[in-house]
Amino acid sequence: MSGETALDQSGLGVPAERAPTDWRGDAMRRRIARRYASERRFRLLGMAAVLASAGFLAFLLISMMGNGLRGFTRTEVAVPIDFPRSVAMIDPAVLQTNPEQALANANLPAVLEQATTQAFGVSDTQLLSPNAVLALRDAIIRDPAILDQKVTVNLPASTGIDVAMKSEGNGTDEALASRLDDTGVISTAFNLGFLTGSDGTDPTMVGIWGALKGSLITMVITLALSFPIGVFAALYLEEYAPRNRWTDLIEVSINNLAAVPSIIFGLLGLAIFLNVMHLPRSAPLVGGMTLALMTMPVIVIAGRNAIKAVPPSIRDAALGIGASPVQVVFHHVLPLALPGILTGTIIGMARALGETAPLLMIGMRAFVSQPPGGFTDPATVLPVQIFLWSDEVGRGFIEKTSAAIIVLLAFLLTMNSIAIYLRNKFEKKW
Amino acid sequence: MTGVMIVLIIGALGVIGWIIARARATRLQAEVGRLATNSRPTQHGWYVALWTMLPAFAFLAVWANVMPSLIADTVLATPAAQTLPVDDFSRNAILAEAQSIASGSQAAAFNPQATELVEPYRAATLRYSTMGAILAAILAFACGAYALSRVRPSFTARYRVEKVVMWALLGASLIAIITTAGIVASLVFESMRFFSMVNPLNFLFGLNWSPQSAAMGYGNEDAFGAVPLFWGTIFIGAIIAMIVAIPLGLMSAIYLTQYARPNTRKWMKPILEVLAGVPTVVYGYFAALTVAPALRNFAASIGISNASSESALAAGLVMGIMIIPFVSSMADDSIAAVPQSMRDGSLAMGATTSETIRKVLIPAALPGVVGGVLLAVSRAIGETMIVVMAAGLAANLTLNPFASVTTVTTQMVQLLTGDQEFDSAKTLAAFALGLVLFIVTLLLNIVALRVVKKYREAYE
Repeated sequence: MSGETALDQSGLGVPAERAPTDWRGDAMRRRIARRYASERRFRLLGMAAVLASAGFLAFLLISMMGNGLRGFTRTEVAVPIDFPRSVAMIDPAVLQTNPEQALANANLPAVLEQATTQAFGVSDTQLLSPNAVLALRDAIIRDPAILDQKVTVNLPASTGIDVAMKSEGNGTDEALASRLDDTGVISTAFNLGFLTGSDGTDPTMVGIWGALKGSLITMVITLALSFPIGVFAALYLEEYAPRNRWTDLIEVSINNLAAVPSIIFGLLGLAIFLNVMHLPRSAPLVGGMTLALMTMPVIVIAGRNAIKAVPPSIRDAALGIGASPVQVVFHHVLPLALPGILTGTIIGMARALGETAPLLMIGMRAFVSQPPGGFTDPATVLPVQIFLWSDEVGRGFIEKTSAAIIVLLAFLLTMNSIAIYLRNKFEKKW
Repeated sequence: MTGVMIVLIIGALGVIGWIIARARATRLQAEVGRLATNSRPTQHGWYVALWTMLPAFAFLAVWANVMPSLIADTVLATPAAQTLPVDDFSRNAILAEAQSIASGSQAAAFNPQATELVEPYRAATLRYSTMGAILAAILAFACGAYALSRVRPSFTARYRVEKVVMWALLGASLIAIITTAGIVASLVFESMRFFSMVNPLNFLFGLNWSPQSAAMGYGNEDAFGAVPLFWGTIFIGAIIAMIVAIPLGLMSAIYLTQYARPNTRKWMKPILEVLAGVPTVVYGYFAALTVAPALRNFAASIGISNASSESALAAGLVMGIMIIPFVSSMADDSIAAVPQSMRDGSLAMGATTSETIRKVLIPAALPGVVGGVLLAVSRAIGETMIVVMAAGLAANLTLNPFASVTTVTTQMVQLLTGDQEFDSAKTLAAFALGLVLFIVTLLLNIVALRVVKKYREAYE
């Protein structure tokens, strides 16, 4: 109130027609309360938005973890095998010299059939994974002495039993699994085959090493092409390019390429690399080249920002003591900008590693059951493998898909953490 | 094998040339003194190394392109090839088979004539690749020796090496233009072939999309109406996804910039950025496995009977989540660009923080926010994996979010991943769709950047 009177007395000529606001009155209190309530609501709304976004992320990760961690384990059945009485026909002499060949001729599937029928009354195809034969073979190679004994071998269970033990399978498998579980022959072990194997037809046999290796080879090509080209282009545009129409055209192209949908790059790869240049389909070479075109603008933009951040005084000092423009850039500007460029490169590579659509266009979705050996072998990559498995109808593939997603996310998070670490460690304030 | 070997040999020659030239230049520099020499010893080294390697590699690149036809000519001249069929198609098929056996990528021949040609093929390949390797090595040696003979105190090695470097830098930046031109050329060229089979007006305004029936020979004219695809793309990417992403993204940005304590902000911002780093195939799997069944059950429980398990809502919802960090960071930037004085002025008048945000900051930042939303839309309509995995294939013109719709990118993947011959209208339609997608995203980006730029200038 005193403020109002003070204003009147100061002689500013403000007519004191309006009654002074009664801040203590009911109407004003209600109004203030309403405004404060609205303020709180707005604030809560903001917090809710942040929490909802973070909640989505948490839900996504937890649901992947929940499904996927089971993919790293496998169910095993302890199968008693009486080798002396079995139908195995193994020549001990050949086993000494060439165990692979001896066991290839030994009719091990029939041994398993006999063993499971005797022990559990079911056929081996219902109880055991197709991998069980390989596991048995490895067990014999490890210790040939078991051929003369009656032994119990832990063998991987079939998809039906595996799914029934981990979640909910169909009726017959569920019944069989609970019957076996009661007798105590079922155990759970780490599924090493998932980390070392390739794509397969049976969920208990598949692994991600083939796809991972394909991804790594593809990334090598992508990095080898996009990093030098990206850095050189960034240096040219930032340090040397004259201001003219050509430079503008280059800048516009790079900025547009950064925003072009990734699937368009796939069409480019299909039309140019496959149909015009006749490079092999499904090859990491073509995939890497396509992804390099996609990653290059990211590196150029990050590189330009990093180069821009190097203060002009450093260039002036180098020029002042007689360095040529090329020496200035390669001896001084580039080393100082390198951490920023590397951060951008890692982020671009992480994006390329998770990219699927352009690779589908150039045919990297083939069924590949062998890890690729070179740049032109048929290969698939981790995200495409996830896509292929997600299309499979078998229930056993759900956990394998989620497990592959966990591996992919682990790689991406590691790369992004390295990028953040680099940025924090080497970021310089000039 | 020989290819890798010869590259290594030329590389080694380059290194040797570098070392010799540097040593010689160092000696010369010691004789005449530093101020009398034009270039540093290292620059002489690089000059010689470049002369050794560049012409030889250029020759190898040319040779690799010429060699297949030379080999084919030699093989055709052998007696075993005289019995080959006359017509080009079957002759080339047999030749290709012989070649893949000779290179080891195929184990046995389907055609007996190919088996006879394997040996000549191998011999010719060996002969020409050895010839190329020897020529390249001689070229590298000769050019290196020539360059080495020019190492003199007065020689301007630095100037010449730097010229090569400048050309390399320029060449690298031209790749961007070449890529853009390649995209435009391939899209336009293949689309032209498509539009020679299908009327562009029918494509852009037709209401019926059924490329399968066209592939089975029911005629092309009415099977490629893309309007249902355009609608599905807009429905999922520009409507449902934005209904999720704009409020969540905008409110997150406001909370984190205006309300959150610095510590909260430091932690929450990277967490939101992780959402942008999750690969789209993971989102797609999440949408198909978790979100879509939940939505179908929800629809069934509220009495919608024909809910599809591949609903537009599932794809759009998850796509919206993916876009949140994008909208949020664009909004963050444009709010930060509003001058502090405007905010202070509003607060000094007694407005609460939320009133300041709603009545001052947001209106001032609106052009930037709109630009960001346009960029987000352009990203959403070009997004592929989520819709491929969660949105279904039925081309419906519907407003029901629980029904199945299909999008441009879904159909592109669908059209190009079958086993068709490449020049059918069905596969070419993918390029026409790609062209439309490219033009629309390009326009959205140009408009968005214009809006953002214009607004930025207003406060600077």
